[in-house]
Amino acid sequence: MNADTILAADRLSLWYGDTRALEEITMEVPDRRVTALIGPSGCGKSTLIRCFNRMNDILPGCRIEGRVTFHGQNVYDNGSDPVTLRRRIGMVFQKPNPFPKSIYENVAYGPRVHGVRDRKELDRIVERSLRRAALWDEVKDRLSHSAMSLSGGQQQRLCIARTLAVEPEVILMDEPCSALDPIATAKVEALIGELKEQYCVVIVTHNMQQAGRVSDYTGFMYLGRLIEFGETTQIFESPANELTENYITGRFG
Amino acid sequence: MQQTGQKQEGTPLQARESLRISGSTTVLPVAQAAADAYMNSHGNVDIMITGGGSSVGIQAAGEGTADIGMSSRDLKAEEKTRYPGLLSTVIGNDGIAVIVHPQNTVGPLTLAQIKGIYQGNFTNWKELGGPDMTIVVVGRDSASGTREFFHEKVMKKEDFVAGQLEKNSNGAVKQTVGQTPGAIGYVGLGYLDGTVRAVPILVDGDPIEPSVRNVLDGKYPISRPLLLLTNGEPKGLAQDYIRFLLGPEGQKIMLDEGFVPLGQA
Amino acid sequence: MATERDGKVHRQRTGELVIRGILLLCAASAVIAIFFILAFLLRDAYPIFQTVGIADFFLGPVWNPTSYPVEKFGIVPLVAGTLCVTAGAMAIAVPLGIACAICIAHLAPPAVRDIVKPAIELLAGIPSVVYGFFGLIVLSDWIRVTFGIPSGESWLAGSIILGIMALPTIISVSEDALTCVPREFAEGSLALGATRWQTISGVIVPGALPGISAAVILGMGRAIGETMAVLMVTGNAAIVPSPLWNVLSPVRTLTGTLGIEMGEVATGSMHYHALFGVAVVLLVITLIVNAVATLIIGQIREKYGRSKGSCAGVTGQERKPLFPPEIRERIGTVILVGALSCIGLPLAGVAGYFACAILLSLLLLSWNRVSPRSAEKVAFFFLFAATAAVLLVLAIILGDIVINGLPALSLGFLTEPPRDLGRSGGIFPAIVGTLYLVAGAIAFALPLGIGAAIYLSEYTTEGRVTKIVRAGTDLLNGTPSIVFGLFGFAFLVLFLNFGISLIAGQITLGLMILPTVIRTTEEALKSVPVSLREGSLALGATPWQTVSRIVVPPAVPGIITGAILSIGRAAGETAPILFTAAVFSQRFLPSSPFSPVMALPYHLYILATNVPGAEANKYGTALVLLMLVILFYALAIGIRTHYRRNSHW
Repeated sequence: MNADTILAADRLSLWYGDTRALEEITMEVPDRRVTALIGPSGCGKSTLIRCFNRMNDILPGCRIEGRVTFHGQNVYDNGSDPVTLRRRIGMVFQKPNPFPKSIYENVAYGPRVHGVRDRKELDRIVERSLRRAALWDEVKDRLSHSAMSLSGGQQQRLCIARTLAVEPEVILMDEPCSALDPIATAKVEALIGELKEQYCVVIVTHNMQQAGRVSDYTGFMYLGRLIEFGETTQIFESPANELTENYITGRFG
Repeated sequence: MQQTGQKQEGTPLQARESLRISGSTTVLPVAQAAADAYMNSHGNVDIMITGGGSSVGIQAAGEGTADIGMSSRDLKAEEKTRYPGLLSTVIGNDGIAVIVHPQNTVGPLTLAQIKGIYQGNFTNWKELGGPDMTIVVVGRDSASGTREFFHEKVMKKEDFVAGQLEKNSNGAVKQTVGQTPGAIGYVGLGYLDGTVRAVPILVDGDPIEPSVRNVLDGKYPISRPLLLLTNGEPKGLAQDYIRFLLGPEGQKIMLDEGFVPLGQA
Repeated sequence: MATERDGKVHRQRTGELVIRGILLLCAASAVIAIFFILAFLLRDAYPIFQTVGIADFFLGPVWNPTSYPVEKFGIVPLVAGTLCVTAGAMAIAVPLGIACAICIAHLAPPAVRDIVKPAIELLAGIPSVVYGFFGLIVLSDWIRVTFGIPSGESWLAGSIILGIMALPTIISVSEDALTCVPREFAEGSLALGATRWQTISGVIVPGALPGISAAVILGMGRAIGETMAVLMVTGNAAIVPSPLWNVLSPVRTLTGTLGIEMGEVATGSMHYHALFGVAVVLLVITLIVNAVATLIIGQIREKYGRSKGSCAGVTGQERKPLFPPEIRERIGTVILVGALSCIGLPLAGVAGYFACAILLSLLLLSWNRVSPRSAEKVAFFFLFAATAAVLLVLAIILGDIVINGLPALSLGFLTEPPRDLGRSGGIFPAIVGTLYLVAGAIAFALPLGIGAAIYLSEYTTEGRVTKIVRAGTDLLNGTPSIVFGLFGFAFLVLFLNFGISLIAGQITLGLMILPTVIRTTEEALKSVPVSLREGSLALGATPWQTVSRIVVPPAVPGIITGAILSIGRAAGETAPILFTAAVFSQRFLPSSPFSPVMALPYHLYILATNVPGAEANKYGTALVLLMLVILFYALAIGIRTHYRRNSHW
């Protein structure tokens, strides 16, 4: 790899009750790049990234074997705190989930929760985050309006701004555009392109063309296993694994 | 008793005194009326009265949760053992009237006949010379002091009929009898009014009306003493109140409420 | 820098642990309370089991404490009475209640809903004593005349009154559950060409089944535990109805026995211990009912409900049902026909039962021939009729109180203390006393209940701990009000030596409304979407921050509903304050939490049952109590509407 590895899975397996959802996943995610995870429905992509920020913890009956390391430290260590972890590894969900509060309050929520009280500081953070999410110009005159009054695409960018406000190092995105129209999708994809200059982005998508457009690295998953992982151009033009090739060429979806 | 100030003979009370009285629902109207009169003439006194039944009154006086307990029955053996210091003061008497619906024309009944009705031996009023109506037997709940007295005096401790309707107070018995044409019940004298008809009791061939006069004269066969209980000799405000009740003003209140005052003709 | 962050993390962690501990204590409070109540009851009941023997007590066919020479303490007729009256009440309240709830939630236009829903919550505010009067004076007389029997005080009267009393609970909670079913369900069904009625009956009602089941259980708890109203209308004859379906027979319930005999029993006597034995039996019955109900609801939840935080893309293993679907559907129909045919029993005996069964079967067979459109019209007609019936009942009862009570109202009535045994003068100290009692009860129960609900909903997953806490809460919910009164008396008044006092009454009332607060708060919290919680957690918020800032605010309207239902109950209950706080007359206002108080429901009860000639004031007191409750309700509804408008759902 050219870039430094910031996040890695090491023989990671996961069970929901008796069902095995992930099987011995080993991969390294580089910093300041966009890494995409593709594969058919139910292959475990969302489950995998939820392991990175320990969101699977809140699901009952979930069991992990193996390690997930962040800056070399195992995040599932006994002493490790998921709350601080989630501040450094942020997540944007498939269906936009803004809080039933104002636009300003949505973005300010994260910093507030982490102890920022000064109003001026919050103003600064809110503006900066909204600018980075390319939403500022559209909402700057109605920050006190409810977040629910925004369109789907705007809500998703708001969620991204919200995540940026706590200044994470990694941004996990779980099919961020699947609920959006093409124009909104284009805007979010452009945003991803800008974000990678500062953050490590991992994006799950079932849209191969999107993966091809935005990512530097791609991993192909099937039935809970990581089949192949490599630079995007390599995966799409000359996949090493037959299964990967069949998926890319559309023989199965 | 809770005294919040010093009391000297002849000097007005410095702070408000309170008196707690609880117990028999039969005695309650009298105790309340007396308390009202007492409070009107002695300002700054708060007399608080609760019902609950004779047993509650006895227990409250014994445990000290009330200053005075009211009872319409005598202390039972267990109660005397449990609260040896309890002293009872008779403040008057109560007659128990047997009542029927105003439209029920049945004539005077003997105690034996009443017992028979309550045992379930008669099922229709026409068997007793009354109209053709099914008899509906109404009584009090099994813990009632009034019922206990009735059970002893009239039933001679034999069982009531199983289907008897049980009510939890004199007022409730009166209510039911007043609106159920075939009903028969028993209530304290003070509860008699135009909504029910009192049946005279046949004693040696003479019909005796339930009235204060007949109870005082000893002619009416079903009557019992009403008691106020204190833990030891009554003192202070409790003593004053009881004295008031026993005095002419208090006894007149008894009469007004329909109860039988002590003694004299 | 690293140490600073470590310190903050450490502080956050300790803070979180402390909060979690406090919430756990709140959740445990219900269990602790039940434990105490059971302990005190058993302590005083033990002698009867020792003397009479458990078998004779439980299976004895005669309850006659004044029997001479040997008292008889067999509880079979009492248990029969409780079961009969409760079954009858549920038979009336469940179909009417759910029909009404469906009508309010999905059929009525919003303007109608805004009037009807508060009106029904008003039914919950009518005190049990008032229901008792109404039953005694109006209902039992009507039954006597209509059926031509000597006395109308009967099983039927008891079931009708209890059914009406359980209605508001069932309707309110069911309606909340029905409105929480996601719109996507209904849209999916309509998009397939189903009629509105098919959508409602096939998709929406099953989707709300867990909440509806919760409503029915809460209603049943209300019915089993009701004391004052039943003892006034069932006749209190300790007999088993013969034949068994004779709804016109007088009966006596376990609660009625306690209510009617406890006040006048000698402490320490065998009768006294027997009554505590009755209280224990009551609790055991409640426990059994709750266990069975939890089992049923658990199965329904698995089948229809959504679990918190669905696994991304993977579903758990489905348990194999016992019978294949075709047989299950048939069984359901057979049971329904069997149950409904019971209507024929009191009308014409066994022949009537079979006649009804045949009639219903024919009806059901021909139902499938009817077009969906017509079926919808019929169904909607019945739903609206049910709602109209409920509103009519409310109108009759309210009308009776208002018409008879208005003449007694005057400024003097509201501001003066009572005179002449309450026949004249006013009820000012009673008004103040009731306000104090309710305020204290809410202050006690609301924080405790909300804390418990938050713990159950947000801090644990379904496991042993939650099962135990829930069992405790359900048991507390079913505990009859008179048992609370007994416990309050034995523990607060005597053991802790508070004496008959305001604070003893407040705590007793608070314990009584605690389960309602917990239940409704939990339902409200569960209705907040999981995605919001995930969004907050993903930003690095702690569980408590997520709960307090994201989950609780949208749940406030639901929490307020629970508070409303609780206030209604607390204000109108007589039994819990009978032995713990109330005094019939007091010239001055209570000067400390340790003095007794006057209270409106108790005043009403004494006026009507012990004071002849107080007609006008009796109705006047009832009217004032009602107006007070309406005031509370209006306040709470205002708050709820305000929050609904501002919460941007």
